[in-house]
Amino acid sequence: MSIATAPGRTVSAPVRLGAAAGSRAVLACAGQAWRAQFVFRAATWSGIIGATLQVVLVMLVWAAVYGARTEVAGVDQRDAITYAVLGAVIAAVFQPFVYDTLYGRLRTGAIAFDVMRPLSAVPMTLAQQAGAAAAQLPAAGIALGVGLLLGALDAPGSLLSGLAFSLSILLGFTIAQILNSMIGLVGFWTLEVSGAFHIYRMFVQFSSGALIPLWFMPAWLSGGLSFLPFSSQVFVPLTIYVDPAPGTQTLVAIGVQLLWVLILAVLAAVLWRRAIRRLVIFGG
Amino acid sequence: MIRAENLVKEFSRPRRVEGRFSGVRSFLSTQKVVSRAVDDVSLQVDDGEIVGYLGPNGAGKSTTIKMLTGILVPTSGHVEVEGIVPWQDRRANALNIGAVFGQRTQLWTDLPLRESFELISRLYGLDRADYRRSLDVFVDLLDMGPFMDTAVRALSLGQRMRGDLVAAMLYRPPVLYLDEPTVGLDVVAKVRIREFIAEQNRSEGTTVLLTTHDIADIEHLAQRVVIIDEGRILYDGDLEALRSRYAPYREIVVRAPLVPEDLHVDGPDLVGTRPDGDDLLATFRFDPEVIAAPAAIHRITTALEVTDITSREPGVEDVIRQIYLDGEARR
Repeated sequence: MSIATAPGRTVSAPVRLGAAAGSRAVLACAGQAWRAQFVFRAATWSGIIGATLQVVLVMLVWAAVYGARTEVAGVDQRDAITYAVLGAVIAAVFQPFVYDTLYGRLRTGAIAFDVMRPLSAVPMTLAQQAGAAAAQLPAAGIALGVGLLLGALDAPGSLLSGLAFSLSILLGFTIAQILNSMIGLVGFWTLEVSGAFHIYRMFVQFSSGALIPLWFMPAWLSGGLSFLPFSSQVFVPLTIYVDPAPGTQTLVAIGVQLLWVLILAVLAAVLWRRAIRRLVIFGG
Repeated sequence: MIRAENLVKEFSRPRRVEGRFSGVRSFLSTQKVVSRAVDDVSLQVDDGEIVGYLGPNGAGKSTTIKMLTGILVPTSGHVEVEGIVPWQDRRANALNIGAVFGQRTQLWTDLPLRESFELISRLYGLDRADYRRSLDVFVDLLDMGPFMDTAVRALSLGQRMRGDLVAAMLYRPPVLYLDEPTVGLDVVAKVRIREFIAEQNRSEGTTVLLTTHDIADIEHLAQRVVIIDEGRILYDGDLEALRSRYAPYREIVVRAPLVPEDLHVDGPDLVGTRPDGDDLLATFRFDPEVIAAPAAIHRITTALEVTDITSREPGVEDVIRQIYLDGEARR
C-alpha cells in the first residue's frame, strides 16, 4: 500500500496500514532489534562465552552432586544433567541481560514517537523484544553444541516427548516475552526499571526452574511455584523433554501453559492501556 | 489543515509539603497542584502554510504540539488535523503527520542511519520503488551520502537533525511539526535545514508548524507567526503587522563630533547618545506615520552637524524581545 502524495490533497477517510503491511512492519521491528544486538562485537562474544561457560559449569556441578549415585530424589543423573544444560541454554534466550528497548526509549523520550506511529506501540515493542531475544539464539546454539560434544545431552524421552517439547518451549517463550514486557512497563510509573529487572531476573531464574529443577525443592516450595507462571517458562517444557512416557500429564501441562498465555496477555493489555493513558494524560 | 479550538491542557502534580519531614509528607500527601500549560488556545494553519509558533521557554509551545500530534490528550477543547482528531485516532493521524523534536531523536541510535529509514519505510507501509526514489531525492538535497552508513549515535548534531527531518518526511505527510529543528546547529547547518523545509513546502505543499528560538528561522520561512506566553496566545498575524503593531517607530543613528545637551529637533526624538571613537553616536526615533523619513533626516541634519547617517528598522527579534519582556513585567 502506498500513501497518497500528490499536492492539492483533500481530506479523505482515514487511511490505515493494511494487515499485510502491518505484519511486514512488525517483522521489520523484530529484524531491527535483532541486528542491534550484534552491533557491539564484545557484547556478542561475551554472550557466547557466558552461555557456553554456564553449560560447562552446570554439567560439572551436577555430575559432582550426583557423584557415584545414579539417582537422587527419584531423578536419574542423566536426566538431571540434560535438564541443567538445556535450562542454562533456555535461560540465555528467555532471560537476557540486555533489556532496554522500552527502558531506553522512556528515558530519552523517544517513546513519544512510538505513540505516533501508524502501528500500535504494543506489537512494535513485543516484536523488538522478541527480535532481541532471538538474537541470543546463536550464542545459545553454540552453548548447546558444546553440551552435545561433551556428551551432556540425552535425546528426548521419546519421539512424542520431543514433539510435545517443541510446542511447550514455544509457549514458554511466549510467556517469558509477555512477562518481560510487563516488567518493562513498570518504567512508565517509575522511569527506572533496571533495578526492578535485576530483581525479577534473579527471581525468575530460580522460580522458573532454570537454575534448579523444581523436583529437588521441598514440596511446599515446588507446589507454590507451580502455581506461578514462571515454572511454565522452563520447568514445564524440560519436564516434558525428559519424560519417557508422555500422556495425560503432558496435555495438562501444555493446557496450563496455554491458560497462562491467555491470562498474562489480558493482564499485559490492561497494563499497557494504563501505561499509554498515563503517558498521554501526564505527558510521561 | 490544523485546527485547534479553545485548547486547554492542565497538569497536576503532588503538592510539595513545606517544613519538617517535608520529604515523607510530600510522598504521602494526596494534595495536588494543578497548572495550566495551555490555556484556551485557538489557532488554524491552512494547507500549505508555514506558521511560526513562538514563545519564551515554558510558554506552552511543546505542550500544544504534543496535543496536535496526538501524544497528549487535551484537558478540554477541540483539535483536528486533516479532519482527524489526533488523540482519538492516533494510527490514522500518524500517516498524516511528521514531527521533528530537536531535543530528541526518532532514529534508532545503535544502527546505521540507513537502517532507520528502512524501518520507517516498513512502519509506514511505503511502496519499495516510491521509498527508494524519495530517499534518493532527500539524500541528495541534504547531502547525506557520506554518513548514511554511520551509526546514528556517531553522527554530529547537524547530521542527526538532517536524518530526523528525512525520517519525518519519508512518507510525505501533508502536515509537519517542527519543534526547534535548528537548536544547537551552526550557521551553515541552519541554512541547509531552512532551505530544505522551504523546498518541501513549495514542492509538496506541506503545511508546517514551526517553533524556534532563532528568529531568523521565522524570517526565512514563516509568513505568519503565533506568539504564546503563559499558555495564552498573545499575537496571531503576519510578520509585517507584528512589526508595525509593536514597534511603529523607526530609528536614525547619526555620527557627530558634538551633540549639544539642549538639542531639540522637531519630530524625531533624541533617545540616546553614546561615544564612539572621537565622535558621538546619537539615536533618533520617529513614527513614519507622523513624519516621513526624508523630512526627519532633513530636520536632524539642519539641527546638527553630522558626518554619517544610518536608518534602521527595529527587527522582528527586537519586537519579540519586547513582547516577552512585557509578559514578564505583567507577572
